[in-house]
Amino acid sequence: MEATAEKKPVPVNRWLPYWAVFQYDVHQTLRSWVYRVWVLAVLLATVGFLLYRFGLTQEAGVVQQASKLFSYLLQGTVLGSIAFVVVLTGSCISSERGTLADSVLSRGISRYQYFLGKWHARLATVLGAYLSLSVAALIGSLVLVHADVTLDGSLVALATVGGLLAAVVTAGVAVSAMSNSSLLSVASLWAVLYGGGFAASWFLRNSDASPGHVLERLPNILCGYYDLQSLATLMAWSAALALTVAIVGMVFFSRRDV
Amino acid sequence: MADTKSDLVVETFKLTKIYRNRLIALNDVTLRLEPGCVLGLLGANGAGKTTLLRLIIGLHRSTAGWAKVFGKTMTANSADLRRRIGYIPTNPQFPRGMTPISYLDYMARLFGLPADVRKPRLASLIRAVDLLGASGHAIDGFSNGMTARLAVATSLINEPDLLIWDEPTHGLDPEARRSMLDLIKTLAREKTLIVSSHNLSDIDEVCNHAAVLSHGQLIYCGSLQDLKGRMRRNHFEMDLEGEQKGVAKATAAIRALADFKLVNLRQRRLELYLHEETVNTAALAAALNILTENKVALVSLRSVGQQTEQAFLDLVEKEESRGFARIYTADAA
Repeated sequence: MEATAEKKPVPVNRWLPYWAVFQYDVHQTLRSWVYRVWVLAVLLATVGFLLYRFGLTQEAGVVQQASKLFSYLLQGTVLGSIAFVVVLTGSCISSERGTLADSVLSRGISRYQYFLGKWHARLATVLGAYLSLSVAALIGSLVLVHADVTLDGSLVALATVGGLLAAVVTAGVAVSAMSNSSLLSVASLWAVLYGGGFAASWFLRNSDASPGHVLERLPNILCGYYDLQSLATLMAWSAALALTVAIVGMVFFSRRDV
Repeated sequence: MADTKSDLVVETFKLTKIYRNRLIALNDVTLRLEPGCVLGLLGANGAGKTTLLRLIIGLHRSTAGWAKVFGKTMTANSADLRRRIGYIPTNPQFPRGMTPISYLDYMARLFGLPADVRKPRLASLIRAVDLLGASGHAIDGFSNGMTARLAVATSLINEPDLLIWDEPTHGLDPEARRSMLDLIKTLAREKTLIVSSHNLSDIDEVCNHAAVLSHGQLIYCGSLQDLKGRMRRNHFEMDLEGEQKGVAKATAAIRALADFKLVNLRQRRLELYLHEETVNTAALAAALNILTENKVALVSLRSVGQQTEQAFLDLVEKEESRGFARIYTADAA
């Protein structure tokens, strides 16, 4: 055998594969019809609701409070968005089954990096859209109706709901990484969310840190009346749950055949 | 053979893959690949070729045994090892909505190549594989040939030391197939290659080593010359030219020779089967003398047996005929 000439080693950026997957996924998500329909639906519903309440104030003289109005919007946005978020995240890895091995995982990227890239990209797109729409709705509420919300209350409310949404996104990506088909992963994710929601409402029924109680108390939180400790507990539980699910999903994904 | 294990490019040991306790795709495969080898992976559909390649590259996880590449165990997270491998799958699939430029850029970034390295390289490769005219077109509408060329460019973007190409000539027209084989020959001068193919003449042309899989088991691994040497060498074909009367007379004379077991004449093609112990050169010389005496010209002479295809079929047939003795390796039996 002939001896090969010494090649000059090419400098390799070890985190470039992660960024490549992250950027590609953000690009793909922004172009997907599910994402566009979701954003458009939330935007139209928000604008319609705000105008309706503004009309009530102007025509009927009913005093509208921004805290209640925005809490309705936030709850509606979150609950109405769950179906879209489930589809967006539950299919993010399983839908790429055809090209995943051929085009991506056979290259210089580890499974961990791929999973992290996908997870962070979906978090960025979903939470980015949620925050953008929520901030726009908050500003609309402040401008159009009686402003009774505080800045810190608004930030805490947005962060709390965002934390819950992040847990849902993480569960979606993890289930998608463990499944072979999009349909199966979306169905499984629904089961996990319903099961998880039922378990949380049962075990935390007497606790101020239950997600249901927090959503009910959103108007108070927005006005600055909140128990930081219980909210911090809820956030910590959400983060711990999301992290655990992510690690389980990542380890499972790194051990399966693609 | 390599002096030390660290010299090996690929090494597998008792590699076994069983899918969900339902399908034994690969069974106890042990092979060693030295630098500079061009290994042709042969086997029927479902023999386990793609499974073996996917295990080597870390896309699949072995049920038992291990695969080492460049002296390190390959796992799903061995990104460093895969940076030195160029892979072409069978019927490569590409993400939708990408152009060759954006796709190659994405692939190069997956290999961690910085912009000042990857941009010139991808431009050179697009030019080299003749996709310059289609560099702005969506890959979705590409023909088989264009897809194959893009797959070649992708597998070379990281300047790999090891190339693993799974049926690279599959679905190509003769011209594209010729270009692909020429490229493999060129790359073989400085890289190690594993080429899987159904087309045995392709393997015969470009490979210097062969591995034969049958029902997930490795039944041969060694040089292509050795593989050819295993099969019978007693079957020759001659294409003749001359008067029919002379050809018939010569055939009858050759039949009378003791060295020949069977002599068949079909149109102008003479099939000669020699006895196992016969020295073929002497027997053929005698046959050629008879043809000369009868004024029959020789158009071509070939050994039918000494084709890789024949050797492969013989090997598989022999393995099948061993029955329960397949529990033991061929050498032990």
